[in-house]
This record gives sequence, C-alpha cells and structure tokens, in this order.
Amino acid sequence: MKMNMESLTEKKVRNTSLLFMGLAHILYLKDYLKGSVFALIELIFLVSIPKVIKNISNLITLGTPKPHLPIFQRDNSTYMLFDGIITIIFILLFFLMYYISVKSARKSYQEYKIKGRRKNVRESLADISTGSFSLFGLLPALLLVVFFVLVPLIFSACVAFTNYSAPNHITPNNVVDWVGLDNFRTLFGGDILWGKALGRVSLWTLVWALLATTTCFFGGFIIAVILRESKIKIAPVFRGIFILPYAVPSVISMLVWQNLLNGSFGTVNRTLMKLGIIDKVIPWLSDPWLAKFTVVMINLWAGYSYFMLLTTGSMTAISQDIYDAARIDGANSFQVFSKITFPLVIYQTMPLLVMSFTHNINNFGAIFFLTGGKPVVADSATTSAGGTDILITWIYDLTINLQKYNMGAALAVMIFIILAPFAIFNFSRTKSFKEGEL
Amino acid sequence: MRTLNKIIIYIFLIVTALITIYPLLYVFSAAFSKGQSISALNIIPFGDGINFNHFRYLFKETNYLNWFKNTFIVAALTSALTVLIASLSAYVFSRFNFTIKKTMLMTLLILQIFPSMLAMIAIYVLLLRMRALDTLWGLVLVYVAGNIPYNTWLVKSYMDTIPRSLDESARIDGASHLTIFFRVILPVATPIIIFLAIVTFTAPWMDFIFPKMILRSPEKQTLALGLFGFVTDKKSEFGSFAAGSILVAIPFIIFFILGHKHMISSFGAGAVKE
Repeated sequence: MKMNMESLTEKKVRNTSLLFMGLAHILYLKDYLKGSVFALIELIFLVSIPKVIKNISNLITLGTPKPHLPIFQRDNSTYMLFDGIITIIFILLFFLMYYISVKSARKSYQEYKIKGRRKNVRESLADISTGSFSLFGLLPALLLVVFFVLVPLIFSACVAFTNYSAPNHITPNNVVDWVGLDNFRTLFGGDILWGKALGRVSLWTLVWALLATTTCFFGGFIIAVILRESKIKIAPVFRGIFILPYAVPSVISMLVWQNLLNGSFGTVNRTLMKLGIIDKVIPWLSDPWLAKFTVVMINLWAGYSYFMLLTTGSMTAISQDIYDAARIDGANSFQVFSKITFPLVIYQTMPLLVMSFTHNINNFGAIFFLTGGKPVVADSATTSAGGTDILITWIYDLTINLQKYNMGAALAVMIFIILAPFAIFNFSRTKSFKEGEL
Repeated sequence: MRTLNKIIIYIFLIVTALITIYPLLYVFSAAFSKGQSISALNIIPFGDGINFNHFRYLFKETNYLNWFKNTFIVAALTSALTVLIASLSAYVFSRFNFTIKKTMLMTLLILQIFPSMLAMIAIYVLLLRMRALDTLWGLVLVYVAGNIPYNTWLVKSYMDTIPRSLDESARIDGASHLTIFFRVILPVATPIIIFLAIVTFTAPWMDFIFPKMILRSPEKQTLALGLFGFVTDKKSEFGSFAAGSILVAIPFIIFFILGHKHMISSFGAGAVKE
C-alpha cells in the first residue's frame, strides 16, 4: 500500500485513530505491534458490549424478586451491584485506552515529521518494553487496590442508598432496591432516635479523637521533658518502663484493662475496697460518663509511650546552639522551653499529630475491646449505639450484629465526609504538590 | 527548693511507672495463678503462688500452637507481598512517566485515609465469590491490598531521593529495568524496606475484624481470635488469656525495647519525607 505520506496530516491521523483503536498505527505509522494490541483491546470491548449492557441494567434495577425460584437461581442484588461497579470501571478504562491510543498515534506522527522516517522495529520494541514494564510493574498493585479497596469503598458508598438490611432485604433470599436518600433522612431527623444517636456518636467521635490525641501527646511530651531536664541518673530505667505500653499489642492491653476494671470482679475495685478507699464499686465501664472518661484515660496509658519516644527524638534534633544563644541572652529555663523547645517540637510533630487524630477517629480497638461500645443508653435498643460507641464501632455493630448494612454504609459515608479534609491536607503536604508537580 | 523539686519529680515518675506496670503485673500474676476467672484472682500479685496450669491447658487443650502458626503465616506472607508489590509500583511511579500517573497517585493518596473496615461487606462478597472465605490467603490478600496505597507513597517518596544518575549509569551498562530495580534501587532503599517489612509484619498479629469475618473453622483461627475467645461475654478464662497473651507479648516487648530508637527515627523519616 503506497500511502502518500506528504498528504498525511495530523488531523487525518487523529481521525483515523478515533475511528478504530490502533487503525492509524497500522495504516499510516506502520507500527503493527502497537496497532494490533490497540485493535485487540477495541475488539474485546466490542465483543463484551452485550455483557456490559446487561450488567449496567442490572446495576440500575438490582434485580427483581423471583420468590418462586429456588434461592440460588434468584437475582442476587449484591453480586449485581458489585459487577455493575466493576463494569463502570471497565468502561472508563476502555475510554482511557482510547485516549492513550489517539495520543500515542499523534505523538508518533509528530516524531515522524521531525525525524522524517518511521520508528524502526528496535525503537518500537524499546518503547513497548518500557511501557509494558510500567504496566506489569503496576499491575499487581492496581488489581489489588481496584478489587479490594476502590470497588469495595464505592460499593459501601452505594449501599448507603439502598435498603440492604435484615430482615426483609438480605441477599440471596430477597432482592435489594435503591431507596435514594431514605437512610440519610432517617439519620437526619426522620427518626428521632436515630437522629439523636447520630448526633451523640458523631460528637463523641470528634471529642474522643481530640482528647485521645492531645492527652497522649502532652502526656508523652511532659514525661520526655522531665526525663531530659531533671538529669536524674536512672532516667533510662524509667524510659524502659514507660515504653512497655507501646510494646504490648493493644488488643491485649485493652482486654486486660477491661477485666481489671470490671465492676464487681475487677481487681481495681476489689483492691480499692480492701484498702477501704471506697465502699461501693465504681462503675468504671458501665456508667455512660465515667466510661467515656475511663476510655480516654486507658488510651492515655496505651498511647503516651509513642509520643514520649517521638518528642524525645524531636528534642534531640534541636541544635544545641539555639539553647546556648538563648542562655547567653539571659533566658530562664521556662522561657527556653516555651519559646524554643515547645514550638519546635510542635512544628516537627504536627503531621504526626494530624495522622494520630485521623487514626483515633477510626480507633476501633481502643473502644471495642475495652467497652464494646457499651454501656447501654436510652436509644441503644433501636440503634444499637452505646454510650462509648464511636462511628466505626457503631458501624461494626450495625453490620456484623444487626445486618443493617444500609445504615452502616450511611455512617461510613459520614466518615468519608469527616476524613475528606484530612485527605486534602495529606495531599497538600506532599513535596510534589508544594513544588507544583506530581 | 532544689531537693523539693527533685522529690516531686521522683514521686511523679514513680507513680507513673507504677500505673504503667500495674496491668502488666496482673497479667503475669493471672497467667501463673490457679483459677481461671478474674474474680478469683488474688488482689496481691502472685498471692497464690506460682502455677503452670494455664500454659499446660493452652498447649494441650486448645489450638494455641495452630493459632500461632496461622498468624505467623499470614503476617509473613503479608509482609513479603506488601514489600514486593509496593516497592515495585513505587519504583514505576518514581522513575517512569505515563498518561494517568498523576490521577493514580492522587487516588492512592485519598484511598489510604479510609480504613478497609469501612468496606467490610463488599470485601466479604468478593471473597465469597472468589471462594476465598475461610482461607488464610484470602486474609493475606485483604491485608496486602489495604497496605498498598499508603506504602506505595512511602516508598516512592524515598526512591525519589535516590539520584537518577545511579539508574542511568546502570542502563548504559545494559541493565534491564528489572535488574536496575533489584540490583540498584532496592539495595539503596533498604532502610525504608526494612521499616515497611517490620510494620506490615507486626500489624496482622493483633488484627481482629478481618480474621473474625473471614476465618470460620476452628483450625484456621488466628491468635487475636483465639485470645479474644477466652474472655467473651459468655465465658471468662482470664488465666488462659493472660498466659496466651504474655507468650505473644514477650517477643514484641523484647523487640521494641531493642529497636525503639531505630523505629522512631524511621517513623519520623517516613512521615516527614513525603
């Protein structure tokens, strides 16, 4: 085929490659290898169009009830939702490939214009080897992240807009339907008990995260400063002891505390009674307010070591020159601390403080293993949210124990919203963002 | 005044140390006690003498060794796969340019902030269809996938600091991309790789939610499930729980005390580098 390459314009290359993926590569650029790979992708897509349409229509209906059929032949809404999401990702991926193919055709054309000749086989192979290396290098990570992280998160966001819940809408026996914003209406005032529980739990989640982070930070910081400034000889011994809570896996320490603080059997109350300090048991974990206090205190026990180590490290990094200069200027030790040590340490540990805050918002272990979200409060019978439940433990309860997947998912959307600013913060903190490129 | 200060400081430190040791002391005391329930535990630590019943019970009557083995397999595989997959994709992100690199990196950065737990149901459905429920590899896949977004960024940021002239000189010598990755980049990135391996190895030991959801049969339980089983609402075998716990906790404690200085500097490096 003798093509007149002089008459070949960029527009023509673009349009041909838009017509069918890889066509311009094969017809004009003689890059048969690349062209056939692209063409194959388009073929695969064309062949799977019926399946794509079926999956999308299933995603819209989520299946119809067929009570007369045996269970395994009925429409399974969860599978349909899952397949629907994957299909949408598949379609997006196809259009992305299309975009890439057009872009690659234009790029090859421009190179051809400059060099005056087509790519030879060796150059084309080198291109492909680099391209396929990045593809295959990323493939395992991409597959895992798409199937186990991205699709599941989208899935759970979608469930928030369905009625997927026990007892009447559990697959595979029954189908699930889209219900729009109904679950959010229930949460935001449609139902007084749910509304109250949501307000109470969200507020406590934020207060908890704030208290948990600040108590641990200042607890650890104070101890680090004392160990450093007091110049006592056995400081390393103390440091060795103070590190222990960090080393013990937190599930273990929380379960231990739960037992020690048990109302009538726990050693704490029994010891205090024996010593005659109290004559009635203290309801450490069964009074709604005291339980909140206890949870924060036990978390302080478990968490101060980390910040002690961190602030110790951060203080060691402050240059001695600054201190010497301050001393010469006549600053007393309090001034040195408040004007130099404190601001520098805060500045250095700020990103970790923010991380610790988001960690505490989702700190399932600290609540679940200590109180299980209990004690029971007024609205617990309907909503299952207890006095110390934070959003994530409440979601666990709703999902695992009550199978109210829709409500659990609606709360997960709430967590998305709370965490979104932190995701943005994370992003703005990256070096690449600061330098204006990624 | 000076001595008074010193006394106050000592009192503060000693009280803090006592509170810190308090629960740990009772765990040891319970592990070596005679009775099972917390109510039978003598309030004076080791007040009832020393007894090895609970350890005997753990090894003879329960699946403790099996739990330990399962957990070790899961942790080791999770750690190895995370290191391999995250560092390979970090290398690609750090050294290659392709069309949607920016979008992908941003997506990973946003995804890493949401705990996998929020997506429990979907992960359950997926594993059900893959026939991976009640298998250890299903659990490993969930952990590895959850580890990738954050750790890819972590390793990528580290690799960005490795000068490109290193790879270029290797390329001139005719090394392939894979050779450069394994022979040039990975050896230089060892500190962050070790950090990653340790963190991802320790995390599965005490995770509860996913094993609880995925593993059903008694012989496939992990340590966290098994230990939790001793102290549920239904039964209280605090003695066995304590014995089982100290056996897991002791290696951790030794490891942390030996390695905490290194850990903290890595923590700092990991967090600030990005």
